[in-house]
Amino acid sequence: MKLSYRFEQTSCRLRIDGLPDLSAGHGPEVIGILSAWELDLAGHPTLEGKRDHLQALLAAVLPYARHLVSSVPRPMGGATDPVQMEPISSTRAGLRNRPAHRLRLHSSQPDTQPLELSFDDAELADLVRCLDQLRLDPRVQLGFSLPPDRPLQRREILERVPLRQRLAPPVAGLAALAITAALGLMVPLPRPTATPAASPAATPTSPLTPPR
Amino acid sequence: MADVTITAPNAEAAVEQPPPPRPSARLSRRGLERLDLMLLSVEALDLNGGEAMVWMANQLGFGSLFPNRVELWKRRCYNPLRLACRRGVLSEAETDALISLLCAMADRLYPMLRQLLSASEPEPVTQQRWQLFRTRLDELVRERLNPRRGGVQKLLDHQEGPRLQRQLVQGLAFGSGRGGFDRLKASLMDAAA
Repeated sequence: MKLSYRFEQTSCRLRIDGLPDLSAGHGPEVIGILSAWELDLAGHPTLEGKRDHLQALLAAVLPYARHLVSSVPRPMGGATDPVQMEPISSTRAGLRNRPAHRLRLHSSQPDTQPLELSFDDAELADLVRCLDQLRLDPRVQLGFSLPPDRPLQRREILERVPLRQRLAPPVAGLAALAITAALGLMVPLPRPTATPAASPAATPTSPLTPPR
Repeated sequence: MADVTITAPNAEAAVEQPPPPRPSARLSRRGLERLDLMLLSVEALDLNGGEAMVWMANQLGFGSLFPNRVELWKRRCYNPLRLACRRGVLSEAETDALISLLCAMADRLYPMLRQLLSASEPEPVTQQRWQLFRTRLDELVRERLNPRRGGVQKLLDHQEGPRLQRQLVQGLAFGSGRGGFDRLKASLMDAAA
C-alpha cells in the first residue's frame, strides 16, 4: 500500500511517497521505504530525487540554519556532495531583505550544470520548517542520520567579525610602534663632549652658623 | 527519523524526555541574556505577549514552573542586562522550559516574522513593519533593561541596533517550532565571542 504525506509552508511544499517497512516492524501508516519525493518551491523549478538526495538536502540545509541562528552563516556541504548551501555575500551593506542564501544542486546526470536557487530569509525559513516537519513526523521513519546541533566554538564565532575589523587593532599597534621607533631614531644622540677642564681646587668654606 | 532529541511540547511527553546528554548543559549569562532579549522581541511583536506566554506555558505543561507572570518574570530576571537583575544560574529544566516556550511563541508569531524577513513584500510596507517593531522593542528595552549596560546601549544605538534586532528576528524565525528547539538551545550555548 503506497503512502503519501505532504508538508507545507507558505512558499514550500514537500511531498514524500513510500511504503511501510514491515520487516522493521513499522505500522501500516509509517513510511519506512522512500519511493519518491518532490519539493515545490515558489518561483523555482520542482526538485525531486532519491533518498540520498533528500538526506543530502537535510544535511546541508539544517546545519546551515543552525549557524544562521547564531548569525554566523557558513557554507555547508562539500564539493563532492550533491547539495551545497552557502551565503551570498553582498557588496552593498544594508539590512534590506534580499536573496542572501544559495542552494546549489548537482545533478547525478553527467554533463548537467548544477542548479542554483537563491532564497531570502523567509523562503529559507519556510524550507527549514518543512524539513523539520519531515524529520519530526513519527509517520516518517527513514532513518536519516543527522549530526546533533552543537554549540559553536569561540573561533567559529570570531569569524562573524569582518577580517578588516579583526586585523585593525594589531595593525594599529604595529603602526604605533613603528612611528614611535622612527621618532625615537630622529632624536639626536648626545655628542661626546670634550673632557671637562680641571675644576678649581675646592676651598674650604666657613661653616654655617645658626643665627642667634 | 533524525537522532536528535527534541523537548516534548506536552506534559506526558515531557516525562519521557531522556536525561540530558551533557552534564554542563546550563546556559551561560550571555545565553540567558539572549534568551530574554528574544522573549522581549516576542513581546514587541505581540502586544499581549506577556499573557500569551503564561497561557502557552500552561499549554506546554510548564504550569508548575511558570504558574503566573511573576514566576516567569523572576526567571527572566537572570538576564544580566535587566534593571532588576538576579544573580545565580537557572537549572537546565528551567532554561529548557523557557526555550520551549520561546520556540512555541515564535511558531505562533511565524507569519509576522516571515513578513519582516521576506524580500517579496513591498519595501515601504516592510520598512513600516520594521519601524513599528523597533519602536516597540526600544520602549520595552528602556522600560526593563539597565541603560548603563553596554549591551543595552548597543541595542538602542541607531547604527548598531537595527542589525542586532534583525539577528533576534532571524534567530526567532529559524528557531521557531518544535524543530527549532535544538538549534536555538545550541545557539544559546555558544562560546562567548
